Amino acid sequence: MTSARTVSRLSRILALIPYVLDRSSADVSEIIDRFGYTQDQLTRDLNTIFVCGLPGYGPGDLMEAYLDEDEVVIDAADFFAKAPRLTPTEALGLLAAGMTVIGSGEASPALESAVRKLTKAVIPDADTALTVDVLDESKHVGALRDAAAGEKVVRIVYRSVGKEATTTREIEPWSVFTTLGRWYVFGHCRLVDGPRTFRVDRIKELGPTGEGFQRPADIPEHGVGYSPSADDVVCVIDLQPAARWVLEYYPVEVVKESAKQTRIRFHSPDAEVPARLLLRLGRDATLVEGPLVADRMREIGRKLLTKYQ
Amino acid sequence: MQNVVERVLNLLIYLLESPNPVTADDVRNTVHGYADQSDEAFHRMFERDKDVLRRLGVPLKREALDAWEIDYGYTVDPEEYAIPDPRLDHEERVALSVAARMVRLGGAEAGVGAIIKLGGIERGAGLEPLAADLGEGAETLGALFGAITERRSVEFTYRGEIRPVQPYGIAHRRGHWYLVGRAPEGNRMYRVDRISGLEVGERPNAFKKPRGFDIKDAFRAQPWETGPDPELMATVRFDSDVAWWAARSLGLAEHEEDLTAEVRVTNRDAFVGWILSFGASAEVLGPGELRDLVSQRVNEALGQIA
Repeated sequence: MTSARTVSRLSRILALIPYVLDRSSADVSEIIDRFGYTQDQLTRDLNTIFVCGLPGYGPGDLMEAYLDEDEVVIDAADFFAKAPRLTPTEALGLLAAGMTVIGSGEASPALESAVRKLTKAVIPDADTALTVDVLDESKHVGALRDAAAGEKVVRIVYRSVGKEATTTREIEPWSVFTTLGRWYVFGHCRLVDGPRTFRVDRIKELGPTGEGFQRPADIPEHGVGYSPSADDVVCVIDLQPAARWVLEYYPVEVVKESAKQTRIRFHSPDAEVPARLLLRLGRDATLVEGPLVADRMREIGRKLLTKYQ
Repeated sequence: MQNVVERVLNLLIYLLESPNPVTADDVRNTVHGYADQSDEAFHRMFERDKDVLRRLGVPLKREALDAWEIDYGYTVDPEEYAIPDPRLDHEERVALSVAARMVRLGGAEAGVGAIIKLGGIERGAGLEPLAADLGEGAETLGALFGAITERRSVEFTYRGEIRPVQPYGIAHRRGHWYLVGRAPEGNRMYRVDRISGLEVGERPNAFKKPRGFDIKDAFRAQPWETGPDPELMATVRFDSDVAWWAARSLGLAEHEEDLTAEVRVTNRDAFVGWILSFGASAEVLGPGELRDLVSQRVNEALGQIA
C-alpha cells in the first residue's frame, strides 16, 4: 500500500540528517557520493527537511537545511541525532553480503572484524542463526579474482558441462561470480574468440600464461544459462514428482505439467548428460523421445551392468 | 509522495518528542498534514503512515492508556529508535561498503540499505571483479530473519500444508535459502522459495532456541551423509578422468590417477544417484548391497525407455 520509493527516500533522509549533524562541515560532493544522491535529489530532500519540524511549525520549530556554497547545512534537528535502527531485511542483507565475501575466501581481516562487530551490535546471535555457504571447493576463486583484477591471462584445463570432454584454453578473466550455488568465471575465451562463462568447479588446472590483457571498457552482461544451438541433442522426458528437482538444476523447458508428472524438453550438446541423468533417476523418469539418448543410456548401462555382475 | 514524506517526518518528530503516548486524535489535531480530512480519509492516512514508519525500522508501540483498554496511544522510545553504533573503523567501513555492493539479494544490492543508515557508502576501494547473487526475494527472508531474532513463531503453507514452525535460523546453500526450525514432529528444513502465506506471530520470545544451536551444523554434510538409513562404509573406485572431481566433492587432496575412496553413507538413495552421475566412470566395489542397489537402479532406468 506504500510505495517502496517513499520508504527508501525517507530512509535516506533519516540517515543524512544525523551524518551532517555529527560533523562540523559536510561537503556537497562527498554527501552526493556517500548517499548515492543526484544534485537535484539532494536539493529536493533539503527543501523537504526545512519545512518539517515540531508542532506549531513556526520559524523556531522547523529544522534548518540548506546548501551554503559547497556545504550541506542541517540544524535544529536534534531529535534525529541518530539514524533509525536496521530493519531485519536490511540487517540480513548486509550480514549476508559480508558472510558471502568471507565465505568466498577473499575477505580482508577488516571485513571479518566488521561483520563480527556488526553482528554484536545489531543482532547478538545472528552468527548462529544465519549462514551463507558459497564454498569454493576448487580453491580457484582467489586466483581467478586476482587475475581479473590484475588483467592477467590464464590457461585453464576445463571439463565442459555439456560435452563430457576436457579442453585446454587461454582466457582473459573479466569477473568471477557466484549464482545458484556455483562459482563462474566470465571473460574472453581465446579458443572460441568470444565471451564465455566457465564453471569454476569444472576447472581442473589453472595457471598464468605470463601475458597481460586489456580489459574492455564495455563488458557484456554475463549469462550462466545454457543457450541451445542447432546441433543440440534434444530429448523429451517425463519426470515423476520425486524427480522434479531436475527443473532447478538443469536448463530445461517444461512442456506439460500436472500433479502427477512433468514433461520436459532437455537440450544438450551431446547425449552423455541426459543419459547419465536418466540412469540416476531410475523409475522416477521416463525417456519419451530421443533415440540418441536411449542408445547412450543402453551403452553406459551395459558397461555398468558388466562391472556389477 | 512529497506530502507523505513531509507528513511522516512531522509525525515521527512528534512521536519522538512526546514524553507520553499520543492518541490518533492527538496526531490528527497536532501534526501538520492531517487536518481537514474526513474521519475515513484520516484513518487511511494514519494507517498508511504507521506502516511506513515500521518499514523504516521505527519501533512504533501501541499502548493502552487506561486499565479498561478503551483508549490507545502511540509512542516511539528515542533510545530504542537509535541505531546501535557498531564502532567500525574506516577500514572496516570500506570493507563492508565493498561487500554490500558485490552481493545481490532479491535483485538489488544486498547491503546498501543498511550501509546508508550506518553512515553511507565509503569510497576508496578499486575495481572488485568478484560478485555474488544470492537469488530470491528478500521480503520473505527478511520477515523470517526478524522472526528468528525476536523468537516469534511463524506459520506458512508448504507443499499444500499449513506448517507451524519455531524458526531457528536461515541458510543459503547451493543457490537456495533454507529455513531451519522446529515443527510439531521435530526439527525440519524448508526451502524458503516454496514458503507461501507467511504469518509471523504477535508475541516476541515465544519460544526458546535449543542451547548451542548453530545453523552451520545443519548444513555440513553431503546429501549421501544425511539420511535415515543405517550407516554403511562404501568403497568406490573413480576412473582417472573423474577422480579429481570426485576428490573435490569428498574433500580429499587433488588426485590425478584412479582414486579408490571410502565413503560414509546414510542416505542410500542419494548415494546411488551421485555414483551414477559419473556414468560408467565410477564403480562401487563394496559392500554387496550397495552394488546391488546401483545395478538395480540401472535396470530400472533402462526399463523406463519408452
